[in-house]
Amino acid sequence: MSDRMAALSGQALAILLALILGALVILAIDENPLHVLDTLLRGAFGSPERIAGTLLQATPILVCGIAACISLRGGLFNIGIEGQLFMGGFAATWVGFSFGMPPILHMLVAIVVAALAGMAWIAIPAFFRARYNANEVVSTILANYVAILMTSYLTISVFKKPGGQSETPPIFESAYLPELFSFSRLNWGLIIGLVLAVAVHYFFLRTSRGYSVSEMGANPKFAEYGGIDIKRQVFFVLLVSGAVGGLAGGIEALGVHHRFMEGFAPGFGFDGVIAALLANGNPIGTIFTAIFFGALRSGSLMLEVDTTASREIITVVQALIILAVSAQVTIRRKAGDSTAGERRWKF
Amino acid sequence: MEILERIINVSLFVATLRTTAPILLVALGGSFTTKAGIFNIGLEGQMLVGAFFAVIGTIFFGSPWIGVLCGVLAALVLAYVFALLVVTFKANEVVVGLALNILAGGMTISLMKAIFGTRGSIFGHGLVGLPAVKLPFAKELGWFGQLISGYTPLVYVAFILVPLLILFYKRTKLGLYIRVVGEKPEAAEALGISITRIRYTASLLCGLLAGLAGAHLSLGYTTMFTENMSSGRGFMAVAILIFSAGDPWRILLGCLLFGFSDALALRLQTFGVSSYLVLAVPYLVALTALFALSYRARPKIIRETLDSMRRVLTVKPAPETKS
Repeated sequence: MSDRMAALSGQALAILLALILGALVILAIDENPLHVLDTLLRGAFGSPERIAGTLLQATPILVCGIAACISLRGGLFNIGIEGQLFMGGFAATWVGFSFGMPPILHMLVAIVVAALAGMAWIAIPAFFRARYNANEVVSTILANYVAILMTSYLTISVFKKPGGQSETPPIFESAYLPELFSFSRLNWGLIIGLVLAVAVHYFFLRTSRGYSVSEMGANPKFAEYGGIDIKRQVFFVLLVSGAVGGLAGGIEALGVHHRFMEGFAPGFGFDGVIAALLANGNPIGTIFTAIFFGALRSGSLMLEVDTTASREIITVVQALIILAVSAQVTIRRKAGDSTAGERRWKF
Repeated sequence: MEILERIINVSLFVATLRTTAPILLVALGGSFTTKAGIFNIGLEGQMLVGAFFAVIGTIFFGSPWIGVLCGVLAALVLAYVFALLVVTFKANEVVVGLALNILAGGMTISLMKAIFGTRGSIFGHGLVGLPAVKLPFAKELGWFGQLISGYTPLVYVAFILVPLLILFYKRTKLGLYIRVVGEKPEAAEALGISITRIRYTASLLCGLLAGLAGAHLSLGYTTMFTENMSSGRGFMAVAILIFSAGDPWRILLGCLLFGFSDALALRLQTFGVSSYLVLAVPYLVALTALFALSYRARPKIIRETLDSMRRVLTVKPAPETKS
């Protein structure tokens, strides 16, 4: 068996272990695990609409996952993708309802502004990480809370739709991301995500810039001796990661909700980080883990209808998978694979 | 001037001590792991689980004290899993900490739904909070009496722990060992100290205090459990830990700063400032402190932690599995 196969089968075993643990958790809350699994599967893949629903949920997870991949490759943890997503989503909505522009141009401007908003939101943590080594994990997590509260404030106190619920006015149709099928809200965001995943994959595989980022992630000291300006590169890697996080929010606002409201995109940023970790920072792998998590999410909607279990049970399963995988890789390392775990972020 | 007097008075300082206590407890817990050279981002989840099981224990056994015990035990279980993965399996601290936080969030909501059939929050169901302690001599002390009396017991525990922990690190063998393991793991090995055992001990001590912090949140600070009610306090504690390097005295200062800004912000809310902006204040204070102090005290401890973990890996290739 090749190393790659061994790694993959190890990963699969770890996921299996996590699923067994998850089944025990489901038993503990008095539900039949097989019934839950069946409901999840039917909810996720039962019909073309359901499959589209799964992909719809997977889209923001994929884009957030790519944002996470970019930082993870550079040995950095951007856990603030949730906050960047909220800022990007709000900024895109603002452009969408405040300005009138020709159709495609409007959408493009809104998307670019979303990415810039995400970038702006990570700029200060990125600067202090690059310049003074301020821990980016904690600063980006704390920034999440601020972003969510701030966008809520802007939505409810400044831009509230007159007379309506706590949401902004809807965006103009000229800013909509076109839908792919008539029967679902699934939209071009998925295409953007897939293209981005491939592009980022080739960026790391083929370009010297991508190589130097990976090198920094693998061994910052060595990279520095090799002549890489670490501070500059850390700053830019985090900025790009934040921009992609903002883009995820823009896609969600322009493609799905067409407005901004409280609880705009619950947990997509965190799911993206987990999807990227599970794929070991590989953007192509993230496509599959994002679809897996999208299926769990959209299946869980049916779960709440058909069983007494709460949909948060799937976050338990996700967490168990990450825990199992993080332990499994170290066991493999003990068995003599010296290449695993060299990177700071690798399991 | 009058407005200033309405904002700044004894009750503001009372409120400050109240808001400081939960984060102080969890941050002091984190000082064990920080001193032992572990970057513990799982505090948030340990606190949340502590808060949830404190409520469950109180409802099922009718006593808030048994509730506190249940909360602590639940946090200890999570702390043990953290130690198992990070210390024994050498998994990445950030990854494990994040996963455990997510696990705690999902698990508490799922269990809430399974046990009570509701989501959002638990109150009623015969839930009783911790009693307030009225110091007998407080009445004669005027405003000072007002300041020091009438809190729930865990508030006193939090503040008394500060000097106790200073003594613990300075005077006890275990405290010394924890510091040696964190600062100079090679020296610890040369002295024959088991790094593994010390790190486990530190993690469990951390879980103990994080559980108390959670129990205080749901039984002392309020008398209810709400989804994700730790709301970032664990992360703020981690921020404080980074610039205090686990030193109890500086942790106290950091937590008081946080508590004061929180109390002041809540007070501003009564003057018509939007609650969303008010709620953001503590996070902004924590961020500002993190950035401002990172410039002075670079987070040496983190880099050293990662280096030492790597060293532990290469120096000692896990003999415990060879037997």
